[in-house]
Amino acid sequence: MTRRFVILVCCALLLAGACKGSEGEEAGAQGSTLQFGAALSLTGQLSREGILTKDGYEYCKQVVNEEGGVEVGDKTYDLDITYQDDKSTPDVAAQLVDQMNDDNVKFILGPYGSSSTEAASAVVERNGQLMISSAGADDTIYEKGYQNTFGVLSPASEYLATIVKAVSDIAQPKPKTVAILSADDGFSKTAAEGGAAQAEEEGMEVVATEFFAEGSTDVSAQLTKVKPLNPDLILGSVHLEEGVAIIKQSEELGINPAGGFGETVAPPTPDFIETLGPAAEYTLGSSQWTPETEGEDELFGTAEDYAEGFEAAFGDTPEYHNAEATAACLAMILAIEDAGSLEPEAVRESLANLDTESFFGPIKFDENGKNIYKPMQVIQIQDGKPVTVWPSAEGELKWPAPPFDER
Amino acid sequence: MEQFLQATINGLLQGGLYALVGVGFSLVWGVIHVVNIAHGAFVILGAYVAWKLDGAFGIDPLLGLVVAAVLLFVIGYAVQRGVINLVINAPIWMTLLLTFGLELLLVNGLILIFTGDYRSIATSYASGGLSFGDVRIPYGRLLAFGLAVLLTGLLAMFMSRSKTGQAINATGMDRVTARLMGINARHIYALTFAISAALAGAAGTMVGIVGTFNPVDAGVFTLRSFVIAVLGGLGNMWGALAGGIVLGLVEAWSGQYLSGTLIHAIGFGVLILVLIVRPTGLLGRPYSEARAET
Repeated sequence: MTRRFVILVCCALLLAGACKGSEGEEAGAQGSTLQFGAALSLTGQLSREGILTKDGYEYCKQVVNEEGGVEVGDKTYDLDITYQDDKSTPDVAAQLVDQMNDDNVKFILGPYGSSSTEAASAVVERNGQLMISSAGADDTIYEKGYQNTFGVLSPASEYLATIVKAVSDIAQPKPKTVAILSADDGFSKTAAEGGAAQAEEEGMEVVATEFFAEGSTDVSAQLTKVKPLNPDLILGSVHLEEGVAIIKQSEELGINPAGGFGETVAPPTPDFIETLGPAAEYTLGSSQWTPETEGEDELFGTAEDYAEGFEAAFGDTPEYHNAEATAACLAMILAIEDAGSLEPEAVRESLANLDTESFFGPIKFDENGKNIYKPMQVIQIQDGKPVTVWPSAEGELKWPAPPFDER
Repeated sequence: MEQFLQATINGLLQGGLYALVGVGFSLVWGVIHVVNIAHGAFVILGAYVAWKLDGAFGIDPLLGLVVAAVLLFVIGYAVQRGVINLVINAPIWMTLLLTFGLELLLVNGLILIFTGDYRSIATSYASGGLSFGDVRIPYGRLLAFGLAVLLTGLLAMFMSRSKTGQAINATGMDRVTARLMGINARHIYALTFAISAALAGAAGTMVGIVGTFNPVDAGVFTLRSFVIAVLGGLGNMWGALAGGIVLGLVEAWSGQYLSGTLIHAIGFGVLILVLIVRPTGLLGRPYSEARAET
């Protein structure tokens, strides 16, 4: 019995060995095709953002192949990207990336969101794959000492700090006091800390930092606490639903800060404006990218060229989720071409040394793999549209915001 | 003092909304012994009906609320009569599984149709409010609260006064005897489930008016309903109202005086406390003892 079992196990192991990709083939390439992989939230809670990310990757693939493919040494490859659905669940994202490794896919484009990226980064590190994150902003992802995960986007600590910088730079009168309301997930907390530190640096007084549970649609307790402190500026370190709740309930509770409101992720998304209507006006938001972003590269041109090209291909004006995805794909391609090799270790070296301008702004990584060199854009909702007001200006900042009942 | 007053009002009004969400769940659980995991999905479905009517045809959400309630009533009746009645005699795990499957179907169906985007029903009046000094009472939430009290009252009256209500109660106590008395149990079960779904539809509309929703929120509403039903006492309409208000107040006060990140922990803590002190819930009587079958 035991012997039969041992023989069975041996057979299974042999079979598993045979299934592994042939050793002679180069990592990530099958014939003349270079294979990238991405585990994305195509269904579930984050499906909207997941699909935007996928479109960004697809646009990259399309442009790269139109321009003749990826040159590696003296060979040229067509780019192909396989997608798997992580169902908006971080564990599944990690499993899928692991499966991609079994299929000899070494170059991974990041999943949507910090939680999934964090889960995938551990697997990538173990397997010696290489991942460029397009939507994992939480600084903690990059502070684990991992060597194989890079983030093309500005880190979470910049999200709120950017709004503080912008207000301090161009708002007249400059706010003296600021209250910060934050969700209690890692990304939001990191952003809130960054915002508070920046406010103090700019000489503003942080009168309150209040937290609420992630996903809250009722933040009235926190607003009631903040109201008697009369802050000039109320900042939200939030996702869409909490960001909407802050504005909606401030209107309900008659909270009108002398300056206005600023929020991290919520305002640039179309749902924010659609959901809030006129109450959304004057809200400041930070964005990874807008078509006014400065910089240019050979594949995609300027940010404006990117917006035009993307619209021609997909029929929609690109959101920052699209652009950051394309930028991650671009960084991987530039690194592979620089390395002239498909060995993950060589590509990793060339990624670490990458220093380039692009339609997405500067792409360069610090020793932790974070792109701290790229400034974020600050937008303001004006006449039902997000308008870039800082650092490059598409329109003038409207400041201070009038009370809700006078709009 | 003003802050305490504002927090109390916030909690009270939020609690009314919770009660509206939970009362139908409590009815179905208490009377026909079905823990309806799909209840939250019914709430969300109601929100989408009113949202769609408002967006596509410009129908005021308060009128949309009636349409949502009627539509959910029909759906609820059909689901109980055609599906859940098939396994009503099986152990509770079967109905649990069945409604869980129903929830998955509804939530993913809604994601397919409407995507996972957050929605809200915009009205010109919901954000306005009454001011007393620094204390504000928002109209939208006041409306939700008023509706919760009104519907709970109507339901309680219906259950105790009308013949159908008494038939529902009787069937809940002892189905076999009720059938011997000439009550059509299948119809009564379907009717109870339909009323519960209609209330969920109405609650969903109010959720859409005062806040935001997306299909994935369904689970949160089911969980809240669970807490409210157990807190208040199963199958007791006024109990559900009390449960909702207690939960709303506890969350508002703990958000105000403790940390906002602890509200769920404290909400469930209160549930455990109530179950230790009063195992039948706040207003629950040892109703289950009156049942011949369990």
